[in-house]
Amino acid sequence: MSNEIWVFAEQQEGKVRRVAFELLSAAADFSKKTGSTVAGILLGSGLQEALKSLTSYADKIYLLDDPGLAAYTSDAYLIHMAPLIKEHQPSILLGGATSTGKDLFPRLAMHLQTGYAPDCTGLTIEENGKLIAKRPLYGGKVFAEMIYLEAKPQMATVRNNTFLVNQNLNKSAQVIPISSPIDPSSLKKKVIGLEKAAGAKLDITEAEIVVAAGRGIKAPENFKIMEELADVLNASVGTTRATVDEGWRDVKDQIGKSGKNISAKLYMAFGVSGAIHHILGIGTCKTVVAVDTDPNALIFNYADYGIVGDLFQIVPALTEELKKAMAEK
Amino acid sequence: MDIYVLVKQVPDPEANVKVKSDVELEIENKYFTNFFDEIAIEAGLKLREKFGGKVTVLTVDNKKVDALRRGIAMGADDAIQITDPALEGSDPFAIAKTLAAYLKDKPFDLILAGRQAMDDDAGIVGPGVAELLGIPHVNMIVGLEIDDPKKELKVVREVEGGKEILSCFLPALFTCQKGLNNPRIPQVMNVMKAMKAQMKKVDLAALGLSAVDVGGQAVKIKVQKYLPPPKRPPVKMIKEDFPENVKQLVKLLKEEAKVI
Repeated sequence: MSNEIWVFAEQQEGKVRRVAFELLSAAADFSKKTGSTVAGILLGSGLQEALKSLTSYADKIYLLDDPGLAAYTSDAYLIHMAPLIKEHQPSILLGGATSTGKDLFPRLAMHLQTGYAPDCTGLTIEENGKLIAKRPLYGGKVFAEMIYLEAKPQMATVRNNTFLVNQNLNKSAQVIPISSPIDPSSLKKKVIGLEKAAGAKLDITEAEIVVAAGRGIKAPENFKIMEELADVLNASVGTTRATVDEGWRDVKDQIGKSGKNISAKLYMAFGVSGAIHHILGIGTCKTVVAVDTDPNALIFNYADYGIVGDLFQIVPALTEELKKAMAEK
Repeated sequence: MDIYVLVKQVPDPEANVKVKSDVELEIENKYFTNFFDEIAIEAGLKLREKFGGKVTVLTVDNKKVDALRRGIAMGADDAIQITDPALEGSDPFAIAKTLAAYLKDKPFDLILAGRQAMDDDAGIVGPGVAELLGIPHVNMIVGLEIDDPKKELKVVREVEGGKEILSCFLPALFTCQKGLNNPRIPQVMNVMKAMKAQMKKVDLAALGLSAVDVGGQAVKIKVQKYLPPPKRPPVKMIKEDFPENVKQLVKLLKEEAKVI
């Protein structure tokens, strides 16, 4: 076994996801304790920019730049990553708990017959290199600290915004190009297209700030004021199960047990009553603001700051006030 | 089409779950069929309506079979319970191994599962089964178009910032996400019928597995300690009248929470 910590540097259309930088920053911290080498593993096609963005964050980068890897499929990634992992035997392999991470890692862990902790909200390491992965269970009603038995690598996917990006690592990675071992056309599955969601906003799981409205918004067209608030903060707009079930918003924006768990730095909920389904999805947000007309709304029990008030009055005023505050910066 | 749906009975989202000791949880006795599994059952039933064939619901559980009953009530043809004392303490990889051992010599066209079970929220079993069976899988599908089960089909999965459209051939395994369909509510008559239905029971020996393959002996990762969720400090209510309350909030976010 080598003493390497690997981070899956997930990229989409040549841009490395922020969560990969968060994990490389965490790995750099771990390596101080364990003396490990931090390596990124980057797969895709046309990766010059992606590679450039990564070199100061890792000691090594395993690079698989191949036209056959232009789009992610678990088949193609697994066939490329598994032999590399078997050859180099890293002690740890981390990835973001993204739609791709959660698609690839369980299959890869099964293939490698090793331990995998999904959707973690914390990681710590002991001097002997043993990883402790903290993850929510039952939608966040309890948490578990997981430890790995003998098999390596110790694998985990980690939620966005769990670690901070350290821009001052100042590493200069050694790049190790790997040639593709297979003909990608032999694969059973292929990507034929990507339908991009309207607007340029980040997914609610990736955004540092999320603003959401629930049934209190009264009509789908009223989400316009939420979009305007979000634009000022460079935030994304989330929602509750109720509005999705009404058909007002897409399920991709639903926060909560049957939707997504978010770990935003700031989460602001307007006209959200705070049903347990919803609360479970915001458990790991750092600061929570709630605005609702009902002073007894459950959401206030889970918020850091609360205002009893009408969202139709508060949201536009807040947008204006934030515009001023942001201009002062 | 021969379709298998992997299902699980899990604690209801309203059920209390608390830490009893470092290694034990206290779970309120309030269970329901995993929400995403119902979407998978519905998807299976829709395909049977279009192409004919059979939908079989399959669970690995020594006690709870209500997810199978739900499947039958919704319209599944057959229900299989894999049960064995040696399965106690199994992790998702062992469950996947057990399911794959059952499925490997069955003439399946398609295996469906929920995106994750709402208990350990792991999402390992679906992709794990696909890996062991050597078939492609796609996670979190929100669209599925099959014109002819023998030909290439289209499947849509949710990704950050959009939807990805993939093509693949059957046999395959898909895990289902909210948005794929709206699961039917079973009719009372069918619920009654499901209450009386006999589940076929299968044990590990019948699958060629033994106690060392599953259960506590096979785990690769384990819980060291359960913890309660982190507590938030009590809420600070901003009591000023409008618009002063808005100004105060912005000030707090900037100066106290330092998040903007």
